[in-house]
Amino acid sequence: MTTTSIERNEAGAPLISVRDLSVSYDVARTGKRLTAIEGVDLDVHEGEFITVLGPSGCGKTTFMNVVAGLVKPTTGTVLVGGSPVTGPGPDRAVVFQDYALLPWRTVFDNVKFGLEMQKELKGAGWRERVQDAIELVGLAGFEQSYPRELSGGMQQRVGLARAVVAEPRILLMDEPLGAVDALTREVMRDEIEKLMAATGKTVLFITHSIEEAILLGDRIVVFKSHPGAIKEIIETGLERPRSERSIQHDPRFLELRDHLWDALQGEATAAAVSK
Amino acid sequence: MTVTSATGTMRIVRPRRVIRRSEAKWTWLLVGVIAAILLIWEAAVSWLQLIPASFLPPPTAIAVSFGKLLVDPEFWGAFGYSLGNVAIGLVIAVVVGVTVGLAVGWSPVLRFTVAPFLWLLYSTPKVALAPLFILGLGLGSESKIALVFLLAVFPIILNTMEGAVTVSTSLVNAGRVYGVNGVALGWKIIVPATLPYSLSGIQRGAALGFTGEVLGEFLGGTGGLGHMLEYAAYQFQMDDAIAMVIVMVIIANLTLLLISTLRRRLAPWYDDRKIAGAS
Repeated sequence: MTTTSIERNEAGAPLISVRDLSVSYDVARTGKRLTAIEGVDLDVHEGEFITVLGPSGCGKTTFMNVVAGLVKPTTGTVLVGGSPVTGPGPDRAVVFQDYALLPWRTVFDNVKFGLEMQKELKGAGWRERVQDAIELVGLAGFEQSYPRELSGGMQQRVGLARAVVAEPRILLMDEPLGAVDALTREVMRDEIEKLMAATGKTVLFITHSIEEAILLGDRIVVFKSHPGAIKEIIETGLERPRSERSIQHDPRFLELRDHLWDALQGEATAAAVSK
Repeated sequence: MTVTSATGTMRIVRPRRVIRRSEAKWTWLLVGVIAAILLIWEAAVSWLQLIPASFLPPPTAIAVSFGKLLVDPEFWGAFGYSLGNVAIGLVIAVVVGVTVGLAVGWSPVLRFTVAPFLWLLYSTPKVALAPLFILGLGLGSESKIALVFLLAVFPIILNTMEGAVTVSTSLVNAGRVYGVNGVALGWKIIVPATLPYSLSGIQRGAALGFTGEVLGEFLGGTGGLGHMLEYAAYQFQMDDAIAMVIVMVIIANLTLLLISTLRRRLAPWYDDRKIAGAS
């Protein structure tokens, strides 16, 4: 696969460094030991947008949870900014597939949740920060609404605002658009692309959509299943800013899509056979 | 409305609130049915004399007795006594029930050791213990409060427990990701997420507790609405007795209404239909 180098700061050490990471656990029901992911190596540099693509059940969410500090690695190491991950930290924020908003809080208070446990951020000006984050995701005017009054797409905007309000270095997104309707999904892909290009955050974006992986990623990490492991890593090399519409007829996009389609097709078949 | 964001402009339309369909039609039907029943009742007793009025007094006689009750200081004394006992028993049941429910729901160790006993006790007919309570604690308020507590506490414990167990893992994960740990995790995530379940248990507990109070007064009491009802029945004053029953129906329903209103105010995010099946 030909790759086009893209402009990025590779001078320093990688921001996220994953070495020989494996996660396995005992399944109580069957008594078997299940390997979720095995031998994962990955370096992510500051400002990179990484999309992690793979069929369901390939361990990509487990991988993200380890980086988030929610799941402990069985073997191997994950370094963030040079120090090992021992748990969740303010340098990493997560956008969840099912939004995970607190239903008893308003939009404003849900976004505030993103920084309320960080003492240094609770000083003067936190209200402005919350307000800025709400405006950033286009929810101005909905500060006092409750999640149940919002559509799925809008709820995920709240999830996004909550993640960026404390300005973490790394954003971890676990299929954030998996639960929103198709039309909203296309609009929000473009928005996330612009938002991340504007803020320059390092992003790990989990998805099972090939188009999404290409549109958003600087590099695409393709996972295979049984056990979950990295199959290949591809540089997209597409010009930014991108949009759903602009890349639609780009030969590079079509080439990538065909390649990923073949790769995933094989995976999906293998997964179906092994079950 | 149009909002401008860093990601470009886009239109977001505020979703229309769900308009509750008017149920006025059904209310009128219900009123009609009740009126019809009262009319048939009155006709059967007063006009056609199919049933002796001493066994089943007509609605008009009951209405008169009801009116007399409302100006009777003895009634209000009994009213205060009964509701006082229910309130004390219920407050203790809420404190104990919510605490135990959260602890058992949150701790897997407690859940596997204590919860089976809770279910066993829940399914035991606790009213059978009422005579023991009266023997042990006497005819006064103590035995009634104990009975209210015993009947009310289990639904509160079990509902709270169920609520604590079913708190979504992604909410807990969201809490952890944003730095909420230990006690704060309980306070900021578990307790609010469990609240609608607890309130549902409290609602059920209140209804059972009131039953416990009246039952206790029946079996051996020195005052209260149950005692007054029993007295009226022994005197064969059926109009008074039925008026007392109506008072109790009103009290029970007002209590339920109060708690369900409280639930809607405190936990408006929770869909009532989802909790209807909760025990």
